[in-house]
Amino acid sequence: MKPIISLNNVNKEFKLVKRHEGLKGSIHDLFTREYNIIQAVNNISIQVMPGEIVGYLGPNGAGKSTTIKMMTGVLEPTSGEVLVDNIIPYKNRTLHAQKIGVVFGQRTQLWWSLPLIESFKILKDIYQISNATYQDMMKFYESIVDIEPLYHKPVRQMSLGQRTLSDILAAFLHNPKVVFLDEPTIGLDVSMKSKIHDLINAVNREKETTVILTTHDISDVDALCKRIVIIDKGKMIYDEGIDSLKKHFGAYRTIKVKFEGDNNLRLELNRQVVKKLQEFISDKVTIEEDWISILTNEKDKSAMDILNYLQTIHSINDMQILDISTESVIKKIYEEDID
Amino acid sequence: MKKFKFYMRIYIKILVQDIKSKMSYREDFFISVIGIIFTNLAGFISFGIIFENFPSLGGWNYYEMLFFYGFSLVAITPMQCLFDNNWNLRGYIYTGDFIKYCFRPLNLFFYYISEIFDIKGLGQLVFGVIMLQYSWIHLELGFDFITVIELLICLPTASLFMIAIMNLAAATNFFILNSGYVMVTVFKFTDYVRYPNNIYNNVIKNFFRYIVPIAFVSYFPSRVFLTPDDIPPIVYVSPILGMLFFYISYRAWMFGASRYAGTGS
Repeated sequence: MKPIISLNNVNKEFKLVKRHEGLKGSIHDLFTREYNIIQAVNNISIQVMPGEIVGYLGPNGAGKSTTIKMMTGVLEPTSGEVLVDNIIPYKNRTLHAQKIGVVFGQRTQLWWSLPLIESFKILKDIYQISNATYQDMMKFYESIVDIEPLYHKPVRQMSLGQRTLSDILAAFLHNPKVVFLDEPTIGLDVSMKSKIHDLINAVNREKETTVILTTHDISDVDALCKRIVIIDKGKMIYDEGIDSLKKHFGAYRTIKVKFEGDNNLRLELNRQVVKKLQEFISDKVTIEEDWISILTNEKDKSAMDILNYLQTIHSINDMQILDISTESVIKKIYEEDID
Repeated sequence: MKKFKFYMRIYIKILVQDIKSKMSYREDFFISVIGIIFTNLAGFISFGIIFENFPSLGGWNYYEMLFFYGFSLVAITPMQCLFDNNWNLRGYIYTGDFIKYCFRPLNLFFYYISEIFDIKGLGQLVFGVIMLQYSWIHLELGFDFITVIELLICLPTASLFMIAIMNLAAATNFFILNSGYVMVTVFKFTDYVRYPNNIYNNVIKNFFRYIVPIAFVSYFPSRVFLTPDDIPPIVYVSPILGMLFFYISYRAWMFGASRYAGTGS
């Protein structure tokens, strides 16, 4: 199968006016111009297969939006090749726009004072969607989310969540091959986020729409993406499946155990156990009030072994096993890149 | 042709929706209508005061002046009604919201301009038509098939010039960030559209002919009707000049838009 999006050695440079500080500096800037070249995107190559949902992550200012803008045809790359469904986006912007959907979080593309259904009708004409496809899509939407109450509400009266949902629905309406979502869940509550996750997953499954998603919200990544690409300072630092992301840092788990007995006994036990554990587990063992917390790499020592061992010492009152979160893994990737 | 029909259909759809939504802000709608009536009345009164003191200006009598005035109001109307969104360009570019216009499979300029229909401009049209008719009758200009053809050529040409001037002024927004003043300044010049170009001194006269060509919006086309025996030669090529000028302003606008990179988000 051919990739639907293909970026090869893409670079984007911006020429920015160097600004001097203070009033004196501002006056200086008025008459002389010095430029700084900013390398916003540095030699990035990504291939995306049809039907994939790719999480495009990176700290603020990493170059995510710039890459998206090149893929949507708003920006021309300084060098390198961008191909989306065999089209060079910036050269064929109108043709390209027919095949993609775009949502820039918090910036609605709907008509501000029109009820949603009127916006949809205009979009139907603009994208020349056939009646059958349109009806199909509306039925499909109605089966996933409860949008009927929104139909007759002007966009300006909607809550942020309703508006974002509407924008995403509008972006998928003409059944595009690729949809770009730039921070779609920014500022939304948990229930709206999960609605949006369901919607994106459902459309991706049913219509095989490719989705490129930038976000800072790990719940988006966990709910949607099987693959993530991370960039920082314009460079790509990670591109793999979400499963290997966790392997990247070993199969870490945290085990928390609380022993039976009163506080004094527990205190004594905890102290003993920590000492013993530290002899054969290299990772962190700490006491958190009544609990003992053990961080273990399952490749070396499985959580079950540790639990079994603890049970031989004293009966256990309560326990928890926690996976290391995607968030902390991604945080580690960002931080490692700093060197 | 098919494309033209497609664009027309979209245009009318968006327009109707925009008018509908404008009506939904009822108070704003009525206040705007009242506002436009008063603005025009004020313009008209100051015009009347001038003529109380000078019986003629640059060789033109009161009714001829009224003709220039009325013609300018009618010629400016398409720019006011249909191209009003140019005024919002500065804000859209500054905040980065302009990017939303880049994702539709439509011509960017068309899509941007189609979004707003300024219904208030129609009030001005009414004023213009009344003035034109009033002066027409008093000047005993006559009205036949030829005049209709002449009007049908001269009015759109004049409108094209006006639209092109404002397009170019709006396009500067793409190149100079937050440059609202260019538009405001150029728009201020349009106050001089209503006065005959020959009353100014040479510098200003030529400025309004060749730099900011507002002489083509009312003065030159009105001459076709007011002085049919003495039409300046440039008037005969003005329809072509108008189209060319509009095309240039469109290309400049589009060139600016393609340079547009948006703010980070």
